[in-house]
Amino acid sequence: MTLLSAVIFLPLLAFLIVMALPKENHNAIRMFSLIASIAIFIISLGLIGPVFSATPGKFAIETNQSWIQTPAIDYHIGLDGISLWLVMLSTLLTPLCVLVSWKSIDKHIKQFFAFLLLLEFGLVGVFCALDLFLFFVFWEVSLVPMYFLIGIWGHDRRIYSAVKFFLYTMAGSALMLIAMLYLYNQAGTFDYTRILAGSQSGAIGLSSSEQLYLFLGFFIAFAIKVPLFPLHTWLPDAHVEAPTAGSVMLASVMLKMGTYGLLRFCVPLFPNAARQSAGWIAILAIIGIVYGALVAMVQPNMKKLVAYSSVSHLGFVVLGIFSFTQQSFDGAVYQMLAHGISTGALFLIVGFLYERRHSLDISAYGGVATPAPWLSTAFMITMLASIGLPMLCNFIGEYLVLQGTSLAYFRWTVFAALGSILAACYMLWLYQRAFFGQASEDLTHHMPDLNAREYAIIVPLILLMLWMGTYTQSFLPPISASNAVLLGPIDARREIHVRAAPAHIGPPQISPPRTLAGLNQELNNAR
Amino acid sequence: MNLWLIPIFPLLGFLANGLFGRRTPKALINTFAVGSVALSFAWVLKTLLALSPMETKYIEHYFTWIQSGMLNIGVDFAVDRLTAIMLMIVTGVGLLIHIYAVGYMEHEGGYYRFFAYLNLFMFFMLVLVLAQNYLLLFVGWEGVGLCSYLLIGFYFTEQFATTAGNKAFIVNRIGDFGFMLAVFLILRQFGTLDFSQVFDAAKGMPAEASAGILTTITLLLLVGATGKSAQIPLYVWLPDAMAGPTPVSALIHAATMVTAGVYMTARSAALFTKAPISMDTVAVIGLATAFFAATIGLAQMDIKKVFAYSTVSQLGYMFLGVGVGAFSAGIFHLMTHAFFKALLFLGAGAVIHGLHGEQDLRQMGGLFSHMKITAITLFCASLAISGFPFTSGFFSKDAILVAAYERAPWMYWVGVLTAGMTAFYVFRAWFMAFTGEYRGHAHPHESPLVMTGPLMILAVLSLVGGFINLPHFLEPMFAEKAENQSLAWLSAGVGIAGILLAYLFYVAKRGLADSFARAMGGLYTLVVNKYFVDEAYDAGVVEPLIEGSRTVLWRGVDAGLIDGAVNGVGRRSRGVGSILRLIQSGNIRSYAAWVVLGSIILLIAVGFAGALR
Amino acid sequence: MPVNFIPTATDYLRILPEIIMTVAGTLIMLIEGWLGSEKKKTNLSVLTFIAFAAALVAAVVANGSPGLSYSNMFIVDGFATFFRVLVIVVGILSLFSATQYLKREHAESSEYYALLLFSVTGQCIMATANELIMIFIGLEISSIATYILAGYLRDDKRNNEAALKYFLLGSFATAFLLYGIAWIYGTTGSTNLDTIRIALSTPGSGRSAILAGTSAALMFVGFAFKVSAAPFQIWAPDVYQGAPAPVTLFMSAGPKAVAFAVFLRVFMTAFAPITNRWEPFVWSSALLTMIVGNFAALMQTNIKRLLAYSSIAHAGYVMVAIAAHNQIGIAAAMFYLAAYALMNIGAFAVITHFSRQGEKFVNIEDLAGLGWKQPVTAGLFAIFLLSLIGVPLTGGFFGKFYIFRAAIDANLVWLAVLGMLNSAVAAYYYLRVLVVMYMNEPGEATLSVQPVSAGIRATLWLTAAGTLVLGIFPSVLLNFANSSSVLVK
Repeated sequence: MTLLSAVIFLPLLAFLIVMALPKENHNAIRMFSLIASIAIFIISLGLIGPVFSATPGKFAIETNQSWIQTPAIDYHIGLDGISLWLVMLSTLLTPLCVLVSWKSIDKHIKQFFAFLLLLEFGLVGVFCALDLFLFFVFWEVSLVPMYFLIGIWGHDRRIYSAVKFFLYTMAGSALMLIAMLYLYNQAGTFDYTRILAGSQSGAIGLSSSEQLYLFLGFFIAFAIKVPLFPLHTWLPDAHVEAPTAGSVMLASVMLKMGTYGLLRFCVPLFPNAARQSAGWIAILAIIGIVYGALVAMVQPNMKKLVAYSSVSHLGFVVLGIFSFTQQSFDGAVYQMLAHGISTGALFLIVGFLYERRHSLDISAYGGVATPAPWLSTAFMITMLASIGLPMLCNFIGEYLVLQGTSLAYFRWTVFAALGSILAACYMLWLYQRAFFGQASEDLTHHMPDLNAREYAIIVPLILLMLWMGTYTQSFLPPISASNAVLLGPIDARREIHVRAAPAHIGPPQISPPRTLAGLNQELNNAR
Repeated sequence: MNLWLIPIFPLLGFLANGLFGRRTPKALINTFAVGSVALSFAWVLKTLLALSPMETKYIEHYFTWIQSGMLNIGVDFAVDRLTAIMLMIVTGVGLLIHIYAVGYMEHEGGYYRFFAYLNLFMFFMLVLVLAQNYLLLFVGWEGVGLCSYLLIGFYFTEQFATTAGNKAFIVNRIGDFGFMLAVFLILRQFGTLDFSQVFDAAKGMPAEASAGILTTITLLLLVGATGKSAQIPLYVWLPDAMAGPTPVSALIHAATMVTAGVYMTARSAALFTKAPISMDTVAVIGLATAFFAATIGLAQMDIKKVFAYSTVSQLGYMFLGVGVGAFSAGIFHLMTHAFFKALLFLGAGAVIHGLHGEQDLRQMGGLFSHMKITAITLFCASLAISGFPFTSGFFSKDAILVAAYERAPWMYWVGVLTAGMTAFYVFRAWFMAFTGEYRGHAHPHESPLVMTGPLMILAVLSLVGGFINLPHFLEPMFAEKAENQSLAWLSAGVGIAGILLAYLFYVAKRGLADSFARAMGGLYTLVVNKYFVDEAYDAGVVEPLIEGSRTVLWRGVDAGLIDGAVNGVGRRSRGVGSILRLIQSGNIRSYAAWVVLGSIILLIAVGFAGALR
Repeated sequence: MPVNFIPTATDYLRILPEIIMTVAGTLIMLIEGWLGSEKKKTNLSVLTFIAFAAALVAAVVANGSPGLSYSNMFIVDGFATFFRVLVIVVGILSLFSATQYLKREHAESSEYYALLLFSVTGQCIMATANELIMIFIGLEISSIATYILAGYLRDDKRNNEAALKYFLLGSFATAFLLYGIAWIYGTTGSTNLDTIRIALSTPGSGRSAILAGTSAALMFVGFAFKVSAAPFQIWAPDVYQGAPAPVTLFMSAGPKAVAFAVFLRVFMTAFAPITNRWEPFVWSSALLTMIVGNFAALMQTNIKRLLAYSSIAHAGYVMVAIAAHNQIGIAAAMFYLAAYALMNIGAFAVITHFSRQGEKFVNIEDLAGLGWKQPVTAGLFAIFLLSLIGVPLTGGFFGKFYIFRAAIDANLVWLAVLGMLNSAVAAYYYLRVLVVMYMNEPGEATLSVQPVSAGIRATLWLTAAGTLVLGIFPSVLLNFANSSSVLVK
């Protein structure tokens, strides 16, 4: 039982214990969930050391035990610089979600917290799994509790949204499962590392069309989860209807399952296909960035607005992944984490507002800054983080993504960067309408400032935003190391660009637009 | 040298006031706010003395900020002569304005908030000027934008204030968009963002190689500059920015932040000089802005608006100077402008303060008797901005115009004309405010010493500041331009003419102005309404964007197209289901029929299969 | 070879389960006479249970000495044992879930138990039969018993209608089967599966192949009917809805599973040589079945009918495994049938419990809020539904997983894709049940719900445990399935 397995299974244990607790004893349930989740977070801190000290390209705290003989499925888990932070994100946010649900959840309390812990189990597992099948299992397991969280504790149209969410993901994962099975038939194993090694050594020969289909099989599942335009319409519904904790976990962690999958599986396992498809995927990502921002701008509902902003932000991540440069990869991962923190915080604060006013309509607010200055300040900082202000977390991610993209395809950067203008538009407008202006009498009445519990929720996140924005060295090195490995198969030639430059004096190096033929040529050279 | 101390003091001030200011007494707040700035001013002096004569650049590296692949961006501060000047201006003028604000904000709510923001601004501004690479500069660049947003919207219960704040932030974002693209290209081109390395590499580039890419980069940088320094076409936010408290207008929207664009351009001189096209663009934009804004200034009735447009116009001069290659002159004017424009705003603030918030020139008049110090100091500032001989404005403006003449005479003439207008509208304001008899209803009174003190200091600086021979000081960095006395006198003369004209219109022959305005008719209304540029932007950009997003994208594509399709699939499959149900008649005979039918089909199929093989 | 008609001890041993159950069934019929009072009749169920248990043991023991018996009419191999055990377990579970039902309907009498035993006996015979006539006899024994069970409550119109439909159409379809047997006999001169295989595999004239193909088609009709595969699924919804809940529970698990068993055995041994002829219509039928089942289920409001369509859909998945016609496919089908039997019995057990006397509450909406009224029952039901959807860590998921793996192994990738998409569609109607149970406010049906009877509870826990075990440690069953999936020795 390694530390990692402990971090994966303790939430499950906690889930079972909560299920065993008497359902009348609400405080015991809340308390236990809180203590358990905090304990899990503290334990998960122990994961950082091993990963930092791990040799690049190797997975830390690896466990590999046979689970099912035929077909050979292993309980194979491990951490690298990317999954480490995503696991930490999940373990960090779960206690905060417990806290934010402390009062706001008033019915079926036991089941709620149980599902929250079960969700954590699934999410942590997804990021640790190094066996395709195991990954799929956790992928689906995380689906069920979220379905119930939305469907039972959500708002008016919760059922429609919950079912929509479930079916969208189902449809995607169906194709992914087929792709996995096909891959298994070719590779004879579900083991990620072995498949990767095989496909690089050429032991696993996939024809380019096979690669493309398998790539798509995985890609669609992930693209739905991200969500990538035009597969995003489940997200606003799910977010609006979900309870605060649900929205937080959904936006901060679940969406990352998609981008993580793209980065971990799609790109390294099917490099040629990824290269071929990069063009149109990047275009979809850019559409998502601009489109998400524009639609966010005109939302009358706070959660919907934040939801669409997520579409926009994750567009950056996808763009970064499919630009295939070290910087864009690092940026993509950093953006995943930054978005996890900032958007999570946004949803939490919206949750605070909802607890006070029981409305998500922006028009129901206005002038909040007067009665609740600290609440407004917290939202201000979070908002600034989310629109990518320097010294706050998102800026690093967006900068690296765009910088990396510009090294490969400057044209794309121009359009993607528009997103940062629009981000300012919708966020500032929201802030003006909700927090500035004259506070109505009755709003002042129902708008106390942050209480201790809420400080405990939001302050850590704000500190993290500042930390991630000012001193990236505490986070970025392991990410870079792991990305360099992932980048291996796809090609690291972009680097030359930057390395040669300082000394280099000569004609400007705008790399030519990459035609398909050019790509295949390049890859043939690479082989 | 611990350069980092310079920005850190204000940051600490910000934290102290921001976190605890709500409960601490005003005295303590003042100590934190003013004290922190004073400390960093002192540290600046100490550093500069220690470093003088600063033949070379002094750099301090603190830690790696971003390290990804070959990309490595450090948190590095550096001081050279250019930075030195900026540091002096920012901390010096900043200090004065902080002191002034103690008096001005006396009776305002959110006292601690105001000073917290002001300190935060100082922090970012100092980071901006100390930064040794483009990304760090961008940190300050965005940071000052943020503070400007916060301070413009300081009276956040007022719709117009917050709207002005948003406008400022978003317009700046548009500029930053260009700036960031430039940064991307610079890294793509040079593999680094460090000033020294970039500029060395750029210097080394052969012309034919550099022209294309450097032009692109510098033009993009210019986009950023136009946003921050309120040049055409992105100047629209600055006049609205006057919604903030007057000290803010003085510090941020006159003396320091808005000049960041000029500073950045001068800082990137190595790139600009290699891109002649960009240089001309800068010059033309600067000149156009100078002229255009001046014309609007002629007809404004709000005293702060007058000075706001004058700021835009003066910034135009600086860009003209930079654009024609007279970088030192541009910075020179930047400094003198910091003196007299800060003074103008603070003076205006004193007037407004004395009139309990009245800003309309038509509600003033004859204030000289009530507030002598303010009047006199403002008079000095007006002389300086009009380029009256031997005032600070005279030297700096003249340096720019001479350089412009070298580049292209017509630029010079336009510049001179603008100078005339400048003199006219400034003195128009002065005469309307201080001469004649009082037209308002408030009870005017002079401001306390804490406010008038800074006024007097700035007045002195505005008058004698020109004798600081900045171009010479900057010579090691930018080649100095030739002097040409006769041209200088000419522009000065035009300035004086402008003053006299203003006297004629608003003192000697009152009413002449109105009749003149009536005579001009359409042109006048056009100018009064600022050429309807805001309206045009709203109708042409903002509205279509919002409406398009709402109706086309959201309702149309999202809800209509995509969701429609998805739900459609759902409905259709349920439809299939209901059709399949029809088979279930419950009638046993039909069931039997189905079985038969099925088996017949099957047999036929097999028959064929058999036949085929 | 000289045929010896005197059965040896091993012969008896090998059909011991059938013998036990037949004897027990007959006994029960007889003894009912002289124990009149109601309460004693409960002892009958005990007796039945004992019989099943004994049969189960016997079946396991029999597996110890595999081989042919009764001059190759029977074969005891892993495959046979697998299905014997399966159907007997199904028998036990349906016995558990029936007792309380019979009390409730005041219809407790020996026939029910006897018929149950006979039906299972027939199924065991089918599982072990190595010869077409034997298959036919087994099929009839099981079917006739099931027909009567379907109409068990004489005074209930729905029961009668169901029974009648089932009987008429059943015999109609069986006729096709018999006809097919005749054809193959005419073609190859034998009804023994191995002999047929050898005859067909010898390079003969194309003509005999066509005849064999035709007979395969005819038999396919018979089997397809029994497994409710399209286009012969038509009877299933009405019968499943009409029959008493515990009987539906039984029908949807036992007869179906064993029908698939013989389907597999016949087509994978006797007709193995002419695979290329029957494969196309198996996969087309598989596809059709999945589509019909899933899409028709979308609109259902009656939960028994819903599960009927779902069972059609699941038959479709198993057909995919048959279409794959490879070792993995057989193993997958075996695993899937076991998993399906468990989760489906569980689901129907809940319905049996919830529907109350006269099956008043069989609409999905009636379950509203059950999740908060009877959390345990609802929770277990949720497990079954998730397993039917095919969510990981449940047997249903691994079943699908193996089946589609087999399909991909047989280069039926497109069929696998369509199958998976179908299961995504299926998720919708199962989710509706979950929605109603957990996301709607309790209605009168839920508020008046009685505590769960011991028998039902036992069934629920057993099946749920089984479903989860198969989902988390599938190897326990799969290894056996793999080892016994070799039909052609």
